[in-house]
Amino acid sequence: MTSDELLGEADRLLTTVVPGSRGRWPRCCAWLIRLALEQSLDEYWARVLPDAAECSMRAQLLLLPRYADAHTAEDATEAWLGLARVTHHHAYDLAPTAAELRRWHELVRSITAELRASDGQPASPESELAGA
Amino acid sequence: MLFSRSGDAGLDELIADRLDKSGPPGLAADLVLAAMLGDDELAATLSDTEGTGPATPASESTSTAEEPAHLYLQSIIVEGFRGIGAQAALRLQPGPGLTVVAGRNGSGKSSFAEAAELALTGENKRWSDRAAVWKEGWRNLHTAGDSKITVELAEDGQQGTIRVTRDWPAGAALDGVASYVQVPGAPRKPLDTTGWSAPLELFRPFLSYSELGALVSGKPTEMYDAMQAILGLDQLVSAERRLTDARKRLDDPSRQAAKALPALRAQLASHSDERAREAEAALARKPWDIETIEALAIDADASGDPHVGRLAQLAAITLPPPGTATLAIDDLLAARHRVAALTGTRSSDARQLAGLLSTAVAHQASHPGEPCPVCGGLALDEAWAEQALAEIKRLSELARDADDAQAQLDAATRAVRNLIGGEPAVLSADLGTALDASAAREAWRGWADLTSAGSGDPLLDAAGAQFTAVTAAITQLQKQAAAVLDQRRQAWRPVAAALAGWAEMARSSLRADATLTEVKKAITWLHAAGQDIRDARMAPFAALSAEIWSMLRQESNVDLGPVRIVGSGPRRHVTLDVTVDDVAGAALGVMSQGELHALGLALFLPRATTPESPFRFVVVDDPVQSMDPAKVEGLARLLARVGQDRQVIVFTHDDRLPEAIRRLQLPATIWEVSRREHSVVELTKNDDPVRRYLDDARAMARTDELSEGIRSVVVAGYCRNALEAACHEAIRARRVRAGRPLADVERELTQAQKLRQVVGLVLFDDMEHGGQVADRLRERYGQSAVNAFIAAKDGTHGAFQGQLPRLVEETARLAGALRS
Repeated sequence: MTSDELLGEADRLLTTVVPGSRGRWPRCCAWLIRLALEQSLDEYWARVLPDAAECSMRAQLLLLPRYADAHTAEDATEAWLGLARVTHHHAYDLAPTAAELRRWHELVRSITAELRASDGQPASPESELAGA
Repeated sequence: MLFSRSGDAGLDELIADRLDKSGPPGLAADLVLAAMLGDDELAATLSDTEGTGPATPASESTSTAEEPAHLYLQSIIVEGFRGIGAQAALRLQPGPGLTVVAGRNGSGKSSFAEAAELALTGENKRWSDRAAVWKEGWRNLHTAGDSKITVELAEDGQQGTIRVTRDWPAGAALDGVASYVQVPGAPRKPLDTTGWSAPLELFRPFLSYSELGALVSGKPTEMYDAMQAILGLDQLVSAERRLTDARKRLDDPSRQAAKALPALRAQLASHSDERAREAEAALARKPWDIETIEALAIDADASGDPHVGRLAQLAAITLPPPGTATLAIDDLLAARHRVAALTGTRSSDARQLAGLLSTAVAHQASHPGEPCPVCGGLALDEAWAEQALAEIKRLSELARDADDAQAQLDAATRAVRNLIGGEPAVLSADLGTALDASAAREAWRGWADLTSAGSGDPLLDAAGAQFTAVTAAITQLQKQAAAVLDQRRQAWRPVAAALAGWAEMARSSLRADATLTEVKKAITWLHAAGQDIRDARMAPFAALSAEIWSMLRQESNVDLGPVRIVGSGPRRHVTLDVTVDDVAGAALGVMSQGELHALGLALFLPRATTPESPFRFVVVDDPVQSMDPAKVEGLARLLARVGQDRQVIVFTHDDRLPEAIRRLQLPATIWEVSRREHSVVELTKNDDPVRRYLDDARAMARTDELSEGIRSVVVAGYCRNALEAACHEAIRARRVRAGRPLADVERELTQAQKLRQVVGLVLFDDMEHGGQVADRLRERYGQSAVNAFIAAKDGTHGAFQGQLPRLVEETARLAGALRS
């Protein structure tokens, strides 16, 4: 499944009442958006730095500013931290809200577009330093 | 049982009892009772100065005789209100028990709480006090049409459902419609005709988050008011307010009179005449000499000023009208003419001669025919006697005529003289500078001179003219005097008006004073009695509050002693005897927000669960906020305990309370609220997170609406969550059994992010043994457990390809094994 398909389904769950998803759509949405982010990064690394796909997500997020632009990397980090929090069970947390999901959906959609447009050229030495 | 206590009598009965035993005498006691009953009753008692006997307590006071009907909530159905767009229903088990409705902030959960409260207490003043933002934004943005709230209630032991509805057509204002209630088999009628409003107000089964805050962290007076309401002491407060208002009203005239004094004094000071001095003297007296002030206000001439008396004397001078004078002078003239016509006739000569002849006739009778003894000549015979008698008669008449004319003249002269009497003394008195009496005096003296001079021609000639002169002078003088008096009255008129107005105030203040004394007595008595009653009312609550606090305090070092509500007016406040680390007299400021909220709850619950309340439910909105985990545990126990004989509905914004309930295995129903875009609100039962995740996984596995790939992702996600939740439960139970503080356990669980680590904690008590998890699972639970673990771990990354229903069942088995 491509990240576009995943984001499309997430949007459907978010905006329409899909039969059977009553009360479940928030978590379902979160998993789909999270997977979409993973897919986008996988596609990107396959094109730019195949070895990176094997790294942990944390490592991937640390690598990202060196290859894509800093802004995209920040968005990816925000989306990932938010999604990771809600996709794991936490004793005191309830399911994410529609507004949170909408925000992450927007972030992942724009990250996906940015990464596709990126040529993957290592960034200038300054940002390399900043990224390190 | 914790939440039952002896019923308290109605406040007015309580007061009436106390009045009988130790009340103030007379009117004051009646005033207290009337003030307890209402504005009209107090007004009637105040105006009824005759005192036709004390008012009697109204019969509709809280009845303690029979157990009221028990009402439970059955459902709250909301549409187009606050955070809820399309119709959403919260279904409740009508009966004792704890229901927790959990939902993130903005999920619409509080909208249910508010909707229920609004439908049942919408006429309540508290709603109109809400901020404008709330009042304008109450309609849901995503619904164009009607807004509607339906609260369904069940009465214990009765069939059927009682429906309370509040229905707003498009465009209606929040307070533009009323609530209606429909009891089975009866026509729909307005809610405010049911008699629910008093118990709803008194027992207040709703506690919102904002009130919880206001209870303890608000202004002292707000806290006092909230406590009063919770304790059902509103009636007492109203009575005190009524009496205070009455005192103010009664005090008003006397204060106004005092306040008006300086201006009145200034007005008097600027007034030059004697009356102003008198008024000043009257005002300087203590008590005020209101009679004098009134006399000065009513009669402008009433005064000791001698000038004014003289002016009055001048006005009193009366002269005969000119016609009378003319007649008198004509009479005098006629008398003079008559006397003149008889001139030469000496009446005394004639009378003497007649006497002589009479004597001669008598002599002749005894000496008939003898010669005249006087002249000795002529013989005095019969013929002579006859002639002499005729002569006597003529002479006598002549004399009488002359006498008569003289008498007439004398009388006419006297009459003219008497036309004008003696000169009035006032003409010579000091008449002030405005009047000159000299002309009048001169004219008057001229008259006197004229008339005393005699009765000759000068009088006759001058009398008419002199009379006219006197009349003219006096009339002139009187006109002037009248003008002076009038001017004086004009000048006094505004002062008189001011004096009259002030006298009125002073009078009514005098009248009010007697009543005021009684009202003051009533206030003093009611304050003292009220404090006793407050303490008495407070006592069982304070005991329960302390008990509740002891359940909620957990690790808090704050001790709660007796809670008292004291003071009145702007000084009213609540004293909470809070002891921190055994140091007494600590302020509320040292308490954390969570402790304050716990305290608020400790104050709220005893009232709402009073046995007299027909409402066997309590609705509490978000008591968990800012409580630490230990206190949440205490809260869970407390709510479950209240839930043993009350229907407790608690709204909460996170999963801490449900988690505590599950961990402590307390009986409760847990709902989770979520809100989609466009305010579509959904409720899902969420008693046990592991079962819930597994149920959700099963449901999603069957959802044909989604593609196989998508389903794999979400089902795997649910499976992973189910395993995580099972592990959390197992770890938490193990740690708590071992006496580890909850906060530490939570920290540990937060660190274990990956499923491998979480399962590692269960299997090895160490999250760093992740690598050996699969082997250990296989050893203990077989290959299917490993399959489930791996599918759950990697499935959310889109890796799972197998049969979804099978995965769910394998996961269920593994979860059951891990948590057991």
